[in-house]
Amino acid sequence: MIKLENVSKIYKGDVVALSDASVEVEKGEFVFLVGASGSGKSTFLRLVNKEESPELGRIFVAGKDIATLSSWKVPYLRRNIGSVFQDFKLLLNKTVYENVAFALEVIGRPRHVVKTQVPAILELVGLSKKMGNFPNELSGGEQQRVSIARAFVNRPLILLADEPTGNLDPATSVGIMRLLDRINRTGTTVLMATHDRSIVDTMRRRVIELDRGSIIRDQSRGVYE
Amino acid sequence: MAIKLDYVARETATNLTRNVTLTLASILTVVVSLTLFGSAVMLNQGVNNANDRFKGGIEFIVFLQPEVTQEQKESIQRDLEANPDVKDGGVTYVDQDETYEEFKRIFEGQTELIETVSPEVLPPSFRVAPETKDPEVVKALGETFKSKPGVYEVVFAFEVVKAIQETFNKIGVRFLMAAGLLLLAAFLLILNTIRVAMFARRREIEVMKLVGATNWFIRVPFIVEGIIQTLIGSVVAVVSMTFVIRPFIDELSQEKLVPLFKGFEVTDGNLLVANLFVVGVAVLIGAIGSAVAVTRFLDV
Repeated sequence: MIKLENVSKIYKGDVVALSDASVEVEKGEFVFLVGASGSGKSTFLRLVNKEESPELGRIFVAGKDIATLSSWKVPYLRRNIGSVFQDFKLLLNKTVYENVAFALEVIGRPRHVVKTQVPAILELVGLSKKMGNFPNELSGGEQQRVSIARAFVNRPLILLADEPTGNLDPATSVGIMRLLDRINRTGTTVLMATHDRSIVDTMRRRVIELDRGSIIRDQSRGVYE
Repeated sequence: MAIKLDYVARETATNLTRNVTLTLASILTVVVSLTLFGSAVMLNQGVNNANDRFKGGIEFIVFLQPEVTQEQKESIQRDLEANPDVKDGGVTYVDQDETYEEFKRIFEGQTELIETVSPEVLPPSFRVAPETKDPEVVKALGETFKSKPGVYEVVFAFEVVKAIQETFNKIGVRFLMAAGLLLLAAFLLILNTIRVAMFARRREIEVMKLVGATNWFIRVPFIVEGIIQTLIGSVVAVVSMTFVIRPFIDELSQEKLVPLFKGFEVTDGNLLVANLFVVGVAVLIGAIGSAVAVTRFLDV
């Protein structure tokens, strides 16, 4: 589903974010990306989403070399990839329902699809009762659920999560992980960058550890370190 | 992917009301610049109507003495028609009665002046359309008839019309220059307004890009916003040209104190053309200004 071949990403000032990284993630896998801050986890995710391009190497997503995608096709790539962030990136002037519906509307989904899909996904994340609330009226965990609902409402093949529990307390984080696990069980490939040791150790999924841009460990059913 | 109309309408409406002062500033600048621009276009067209004796390619007029003999007249006509520099059928004879009618038309309202003349004292004339409009050639051609017996005077279009044209061109050029500067200001204001609007919505744009909205889907509401601003401005400009500027020009042309405006006229057709120009330029500026603006924030 995702394949990196000798990928290097170097930022201005010779900051090496990723160095000769090669890795393959199969469809339906759940993968943790671990490592210290600045080890290249976020860059990894941004490269897959084509928010950035590598200096060297090739990246395949769903069998396609995404370097060859013309810029107008990038949005169509992203429709197959859901993204979740530490800071949720919710629109504060829109309700829960509107935030999720927005993701479908802006890719041109017809109204009847929006009307059926949004309540269904909000049911899945357990926020049916909060559809009319604004993000500021929700707890952090609930906001992250909205964000996950938005990322998943279009049923993407891949879900990228960049420290989704970084702002949440441990109990809330467990709930979020259950949700991501459930999404993974529908066949969606999940790539999650995290610092959360206990989550990684409890879930026992594949772990890829990065250190200053290099993959130093790739372990199935791994632990944090 | 079809861009939904209701989405575009909703987004555009939100954008327009979000930053009222800046939107208003852009619209007002558009109004002033386009009114100036449209007036310049109208003046330019009015100049072309200014002296209808020189319509249809007529470049000079050979005025005959009122007491010219038939032989003299026919000799001049033969010479004119035989001249290779004169267009085939480019010689029109205007007799004294027609000249009198024309005189009455030009000096309409000035009864005393008209009463002092009668057809017999007015010179008949040949209106001549030459092959070329080159003033040098026309001048040389006309001069050869000056000394012929029976000729009273030769009057050239470039001496009469061009004097008027030059004056109005000077006015027009200054109008256009001022309009150009203001249009540039309008363009920059539109650009800035759209950028501010996009900056205000950068989080939404970020999310749109993340979930896979196409660039055009993101851009279109902003471009529509830019065009609507200039379009509103152009509507106000059209109204002011139609109901303020044109009546003012009409008034001037009836004003005897400004002889330059004599016979100067802006027709409904001229006004329509000027108005169409104004709307066209407005749409262009709105489209280009906002199109340039939306290239920002969309580089990912």
